[in-house]
Amino acid sequence: MSFQRFLLRRAIMVVPLMIGVVFITFMLVRVGSLDPVGRLAGPTATQAEFDAIRESLGLDKSLWHQFAIYVGSVLRGDLGESWLSNRSVLDDIRERAVISLELLFWGVGIGTLVGVPVGLRAAFRPNGRFDQFTRVLSLLGFSIPTYWLALVMIFVFFYLLGWAPPAIGRMSLLVTPPDPITGSYLIDGLLTANWEAAWSSASHLVLPVICLAIVSAAPIIKQTRAIAIEVLASDAVRYAHACGLPERTVRKLVLRNSAVPVLTFVGTELTGLVGTMSLIEFVFAWGGLGQYGLNAIISGDFTAVQGYVLTLALFSVLVFIVIDIIVHLIEPRSELS
Amino acid sequence: MTLLAVKDLHTHFVSRDADNRVRVAKALNGVSFSLDAGRTLGIVGETGAGKSLTAQSVVGLLRPPARIVSGSVIFEGQELTNMPAAELNDLRGGDIAMVVQNPRTSLDPLTRVGEQLVRLHQVHTGGPQALSQQRALEMMEAVGIPDPLSRARSWPHELSGGMAQRVLLAMALMNDPKLLIADEPTTGLDVTVQAQILDLLRDLTAQFNMATMMITHDLGVVAHFCDDIAVMFAGSIVESGPVPDVFAEPAHPYTRSLINATPERFRMGEKRTLGGQPPDLYNLPLGCTLQSRCTYASDTCKATVPNVEIAPGHLALCHFAGQLAEKQPVKDQASRNHA
Amino acid sequence: MAYGAQTDLAERSAFSVFWNRFVAVVRLSPTAAIGLFIIGVFGLLAFLAPWIMPHDPVAAYTDRVLQAPSAEHWFGTDGNGMDVFSRVIYGARFGFGIAIPAVLLSLAIGVPVGLIAGYRGGYLDEILMRFFDGLRVFPSIILALAVVAATGQSLFNVILVLGLLDSPVFARVVRAEVLALRSSNFVESAVAAGNPTWRILFVHLLPNAIQGAMAQTAVRAAWAVRISATLAFLGVGIQAPTPEWGAMIRQGAEFMVSGQWWVAVYPGLALIFMVFGLNLFGDGLQDLMDPRRRAAK
Repeated sequence: MSFQRFLLRRAIMVVPLMIGVVFITFMLVRVGSLDPVGRLAGPTATQAEFDAIRESLGLDKSLWHQFAIYVGSVLRGDLGESWLSNRSVLDDIRERAVISLELLFWGVGIGTLVGVPVGLRAAFRPNGRFDQFTRVLSLLGFSIPTYWLALVMIFVFFYLLGWAPPAIGRMSLLVTPPDPITGSYLIDGLLTANWEAAWSSASHLVLPVICLAIVSAAPIIKQTRAIAIEVLASDAVRYAHACGLPERTVRKLVLRNSAVPVLTFVGTELTGLVGTMSLIEFVFAWGGLGQYGLNAIISGDFTAVQGYVLTLALFSVLVFIVIDIIVHLIEPRSELS
Repeated sequence: MTLLAVKDLHTHFVSRDADNRVRVAKALNGVSFSLDAGRTLGIVGETGAGKSLTAQSVVGLLRPPARIVSGSVIFEGQELTNMPAAELNDLRGGDIAMVVQNPRTSLDPLTRVGEQLVRLHQVHTGGPQALSQQRALEMMEAVGIPDPLSRARSWPHELSGGMAQRVLLAMALMNDPKLLIADEPTTGLDVTVQAQILDLLRDLTAQFNMATMMITHDLGVVAHFCDDIAVMFAGSIVESGPVPDVFAEPAHPYTRSLINATPERFRMGEKRTLGGQPPDLYNLPLGCTLQSRCTYASDTCKATVPNVEIAPGHLALCHFAGQLAEKQPVKDQASRNHA
Repeated sequence: MAYGAQTDLAERSAFSVFWNRFVAVVRLSPTAAIGLFIIGVFGLLAFLAPWIMPHDPVAAYTDRVLQAPSAEHWFGTDGNGMDVFSRVIYGARFGFGIAIPAVLLSLAIGVPVGLIAGYRGGYLDEILMRFFDGLRVFPSIILALAVVAATGQSLFNVILVLGLLDSPVFARVVRAEVLALRSSNFVESAVAAGNPTWRILFVHLLPNAIQGAMAQTAVRAAWAVRISATLAFLGVGIQAPTPEWGAMIRQGAEFMVSGQWWVAVYPGLALIFMVFGLNLFGDGLQDLMDPRRRAAK
């Protein structure tokens, strides 16, 4: 069937991209002037110990050989061992990915739900008061450092008003975590009727989610507006007016024709947003993948950094593929491309 | 009976340039014409003469920075220039149907062809869905779309240019319009398809008894298709009248040169006298807009130009209308180009 | 005498042309004008910092640690007893000091790469574009962080990495322009006239292809200021007690939950305003190049 052929073609197209991604990840550590051997061996190591570590890491081989080894282990799912936690990086990442995905889901979800309608409304009356206002607002959203916003929110809602729980982790330490089903405390708490956990999790989610929603809404507003304005200027909309279609019908037409580009844009934005989210996790001590990755970068835990960066890139590629499939399913013209 | 009467229509583009000066492009300068029920009017002129803009002004489809500054458009006794948007919307696609260029990109890309036809009928005529569907199939049949039932399920991007234009025609017919505005309906189509579409259009106007406003830059189309002609230049109708009269005895120098420039005349070895740039709409000369390009131009042309009726219904916007035969060109090609 | 009068006239009209343009920019894009004003204010602060700062930005008054804003210390003092107001003002120097060279570097790399990739096409173009696509899969903040952390933490390195990482933006814009221009008449006639390739690239194509890239510069500068502060916030690149805004926010972070908000809030506000100014100006710049927005209101 053509859908399977489409999937196959997409899968094949992704291969060179993946090779490139793995190569960039691999080089990330090699370009460094810091020597992981020295770090592992410690200051009192002898030359023999030094060489042994070099050999065990495969650093005595040529760059291409090392790359081949790296690709091989990545394919086997072996991302090496973290220097900080002494555990398999893959396990570390697997544990934390769900924690981050929960935050990403709520934050970007709300950001999209707010951003798209606002962008559309601005587009329908370009240069109107609403447009001018939201334009400045979204530019402001572009300009606020995420971590600063998170800090200020903690100051206002935790320190001053006392509405929010302390910004440490995703649930109060005094509450027993629910039995793990999905990995999300909120959903697991609701599923297992552990209301205390669900409530605690929800209250911890509010600030970081709002933070992420604000940062993700800004570019979505701007881009949705631009997309809708382009659609409004299209032949199809001109003709719809010439046909005397009522304003509501025309707006629906604009909405439907904007949907695919907006969806694609949100998909590409996710790449950057997982980076931004890492900062939010860092400030809120969220304990997710983002915090893990930033800590790894700061402390020079390069195996973990590699695993983290590779995971983020794979996530982006996965998102692109999923969006491609959705677009293929809802867009009648996609067979042409 | 007069269906559409346009009187002294002025449409301007008002904008600002990089130096913050207000710039006004006088795109339509007192366009007047009328169209009787069942008649076909061809509007011709070069690019930028204001043909499409006239159509857009008539049906209220102008987009900023273009706006109607003065004049009136009366359709069936109703003034359109100050009509509320909702009422105007009822007219468009209903009593006044439009066929545009770029049919493929003009259809809603995400709605099947049949649904678009049905939607249009539902919006303007209403009634049971099944009736609209029936009507859609009939109209697709009428415009010569083979196998309408399966075509109705097509997406716009699956249609060829000619087929898409037929769909647009079917769209136009859905609500039994009294006036059809066809804005360069064959531009961008293959020559053979162009002929088919034009033939179809002619048959349909007779069959459905529509008045038609045909906008084109092709004199041949007008000659074969229209009852009346209006020649536009720099936002004015410089000559208008019944097609046989105007073609037999063009009274305006611009019309003359236009007719002389058709490939048939060209081959007959007549001297080609059409040339030069269109005038700057931001800075129109006093009097006649054709001055710098006209072989007959003299100082007289700087005065306000009268609209002279040479024969019943045959008007020309020229000081020398009807006297061209006695006049000799005052300037030759070379000097004119330097002017 | 007569000549003198004429030059005078010419000068006045040159000024009036400038003034008219200025008024036009303000009218057409008030946001761009506001943005430019904000950038100007920060530029003045950075330039005049030594004369404006009431205190030495790195002088620690150990007896005045964590003092709330007062007449003596307008923005209070930080955990080391340094004057936050002076540090915020001095921080503007880092903003410009990083953004300007980083954007210049991006331009210096991205524009020639875009020119050549677009003009040559073929394999080279394909590989470059694939490589850029590959880079786009990584979040820019994380990539910048990881590279700076791996290659050594210095101000110079931060500039280098930001400049390198952002150069694909300009390369893409220029490449797209060149692709559109490549088959135009003026390029083809330049080729036919026997101009060497470098001449066609830099004399014929560059002036026509660079407009889009120039329109991007302000927004990219905003990006550079933001990312460099983020790096400093995480302690990568610039280290405390350097009076850089991100590093200052890092220092103030721990005091947010104990009520000494001024240590982190003021440098954050300065950062927001500068980035906001650059974004406003950049947004307006892109608008001004779009004639569709020029309609009179």
